Amino acid sequence: MAAPAFFSEYQSSVEAELRRLVPEGRDPVPRSMAYTALAPSKRVRPVLTLLCAELCGGRAPAALPAAAAIELVHAASLILDDLPSMDDAPMRRGRPTNHKVFGEAIAILAAFALLNQAYGTVARAYEPDMAARLASLLSDSVGIEGLVGGQAADLLATDQQIDFDMLERIHRGKTGALFVAAATSGALAAGGPADAVASLAAYAKNLGLAFQIVDDLLDVEGDPAQTGKAIREDVRKTTFVSFSGVAGARQLARELCETADRALHPFGGRADRLRELSRFVAGRSM
Amino acid sequence: MTTPESSLPHSSPRKDAASVDELRQRLRSLGYLDAGVDRFVLGPARETRRPLTIAALASVRTGLLAAALLGPAAAVGLRTRLPGLMTGPRDAAVVALYLALFFGVAATAFAFVASLLATHLPLPVIARRPRLVSRLAGGAVGGACLVYLTLWWRIASVDAAALSPLWTAFVLAIAVAISLLLGHATTITAFAVLAASHGGPGQPAVPRQSAWRLTAAAAVLAFAGAAALLLVAAPAPAGTPAPNLAVVSPGLHVKLIAIDGFDPAVMETLAQSGRVPGLARLFSGGAIRLAADAVRDPAREWTTVATGQPPDVHGVHGLETRRVAGLQGSVTSVHEQGLASALRGATDLLRLTRPSTASGTELRSKTIWEVAADAGLRTAVVNWWATWPATSTGANPPVVISDRATLRLERGGALDGEIAPEAVYDRLRADWPVIKTEAAARMAALLPVAADPETSAALRRAAEIDALQLAMASRLDSPPLDLLALYLPGLDIAQHALLGSGNAVSPSALAARLEGLRNYYVYLDGLLREAIVPAPGEMVIAIAQPGRIATITQGLMAASGEGAAGGVGADGRTIDIAPTVLHALGIPVSRELAGTPILGIFSSAFVARFPVRDVETYGRRAAPAGLREGQPLDREMIERLRSLGYVR
Repeated sequence: MAAPAFFSEYQSSVEAELRRLVPEGRDPVPRSMAYTALAPSKRVRPVLTLLCAELCGGRAPAALPAAAAIELVHAASLILDDLPSMDDAPMRRGRPTNHKVFGEAIAILAAFALLNQAYGTVARAYEPDMAARLASLLSDSVGIEGLVGGQAADLLATDQQIDFDMLERIHRGKTGALFVAAATSGALAAGGPADAVASLAAYAKNLGLAFQIVDDLLDVEGDPAQTGKAIREDVRKTTFVSFSGVAGARQLARELCETADRALHPFGGRADRLRELSRFVAGRSM
Repeated sequence: MTTPESSLPHSSPRKDAASVDELRQRLRSLGYLDAGVDRFVLGPARETRRPLTIAALASVRTGLLAAALLGPAAAVGLRTRLPGLMTGPRDAAVVALYLALFFGVAATAFAFVASLLATHLPLPVIARRPRLVSRLAGGAVGGACLVYLTLWWRIASVDAAALSPLWTAFVLAIAVAISLLLGHATTITAFAVLAASHGGPGQPAVPRQSAWRLTAAAAVLAFAGAAALLLVAAPAPAGTPAPNLAVVSPGLHVKLIAIDGFDPAVMETLAQSGRVPGLARLFSGGAIRLAADAVRDPAREWTTVATGQPPDVHGVHGLETRRVAGLQGSVTSVHEQGLASALRGATDLLRLTRPSTASGTELRSKTIWEVAADAGLRTAVVNWWATWPATSTGANPPVVISDRATLRLERGGALDGEIAPEAVYDRLRADWPVIKTEAAARMAALLPVAADPETSAALRRAAEIDALQLAMASRLDSPPLDLLALYLPGLDIAQHALLGSGNAVSPSALAARLEGLRNYYVYLDGLLREAIVPAPGEMVIAIAQPGRIATITQGLMAASGEGAAGGVGADGRTIDIAPTVLHALGIPVSRELAGTPILGIFSSAFVARFPVRDVETYGRRAAPAGLREGQPLDREMIERLRSLGYVR
């Protein structure tokens, strides 16, 4: 399933902002940063940030730094995730992984640089109060309740039998936390009220898990040409497919997307783009 | 090469289906797929970021949940414990509303305090582990709720011995569900407050409109479930059908005369001087001695006489009750001390409760006249305690001249359950001037004039009441009744007025009062002279109880006429009176009754010819149902009883 038509407009804005924030340069670390941050991508998370900002009455440009920061954090997490000491992945987004190109040390430095760039971006772009709240959100999504905690749990679980709660814990940290941060930061940057922030957080929470389940499905039955990575990479890991089978995982992903859509009820037709996004997540093939 | 699925666990379709359901539930428990309660609870806090406001608004929603769930559930228990309180669905709804209000406020306060405590305690763990802390807060509320509900069920089901374990498990499952829900509501409230206080991630709540639908549907379901529980778990309000009571009739008509405030020692003295020949003939031959109840309450004691059951079973614990605003039923309020008394005073002051008197709404056991009527006999009762509201239904309805009948006949107007059937009221109302004149004439002829005006007034007042009851009873005996039960309170009223005040009086005044009281025995002897002489085929059973004077410790039971033994002299219990009367009428004795027939009052020929037969049950008494009609006399009744010294 192709990305929704409106995606390209938002993707372009995000790409432009990322290019501004991560100039390629000639040094290995900036090049390494740009290699991953500017690699072809759907940009689901930053687009989510922009859509949520617009839904809360803000303008997309105002939320663009927050959206870019989310994507920078995501890029950093991908670099770290692929390292030999982690998943030791050879391919990412249809290309060799960062450490394969720049070496492990540079890749690590690039990841840290991207994280710092993310915090710096929100600190520079917003008023102190808002900057502090957005930085706090990013910190939570990266920290032990977020990407770091999820990745650590994932590493410990490799080749281990894990239970469902642990699997959810991993996905909540590795995927869900950043999805929630993406939606929440957009809503906050636009000055959205508490209930709108809460609604969008619930939307993102369900969508994030659906996204991860689809990822698990693509690992089992996806086309490497489309996904950009080798299939069956997660064969040593317990996934949602392990628990419910392919059909069951697909069903759960669909239900999660439906729940995400229900969370948008108060926004009425204004949230149609987010609904399209959840449909895209449920049916994506890459 | 294996297919993707063949290498995975849970690959069979059947197993997949099961695990998908299981995973769906697990995801829900982890906060995915469904957030209806969260939306409901946190919805009102959407416009604010102030922790205190969020705590207050969300706690109110938690309170609403508690009100919807706990109100009807607690009404079930209250109905079991206080059967007189609810007389029908309307009362049940009002009680459920009261309790919903109470639990709503309590849960709101509890959730508010729990969420604020979780936020404001100076512990580092609060900022570090917000989810854990909010879960602890929710756990505290949910745990407290479950403990309360469990204990409540234990208390509420004390009388419901027939409840099956399955039913109890079902009830407890509901309790668990309610507790989990309230605990969860508090958890998300605390978490929202923590998020607002410490700048954590987005609140775990979602929006408004769909939440209302979901929650409304859940609330309706919960309410319907609890209402069903209310109807099913509580004692059947309509009563169970009367069993077929095969009467082996000895051919007796029984006249049961109940005299309250009777002192056997005084009667003995008077008998020796020949002043009360009629009573002496009845009681001095060797009556059955009855141990008096330690609690001197006329409604309680005489209902025990009428039902053959102790107060815990028949349900009338005392004369003074409280009527709750909006309810037709009432609750006993006697012997309250300390906090209960203060609470009663407070609720009276707020007009939430008002004083009332014992009535048939509290009565759970059938009276002897109701059992006899079920058995197809013609029965009537006059002025017995707790006979209001008079109900007279069925193929062979008893005539009930309730303890409020005199008031109604004096005031006139539409009946409010004072007399049944209505035709009897019409007849007595038409005769009322004659009845009054007749009573006055008897008083003038039989009551010696006391020298002391105060004593004279007390005696005249009591004498008039007894004379009126007797005059009314005499008008019911055509066609002849199989059972007439007549309660005469005059002696107790006179005795209480003259000796029960506790005020110090001079020896001469006391002597005058004692003489006045003795004169009342003489009056009573004259008044009952004809009534206690049995007609052919009639057995007169007289019950004399000590009344409210605690120094008298013994009552008497005596019988005369056909089938009665002369000169018995034995001990009996108050609970034995009802089975004795029923046996005299040829009705089998229920094995549910606490007492047994006193065979000593029957002649040996009667005992030989009519052995005691028994029956499993008389069925459950039908509670007076439906809305009240006519002009209520509640206030007048209270005033009258207060003036007679019955209520404070």
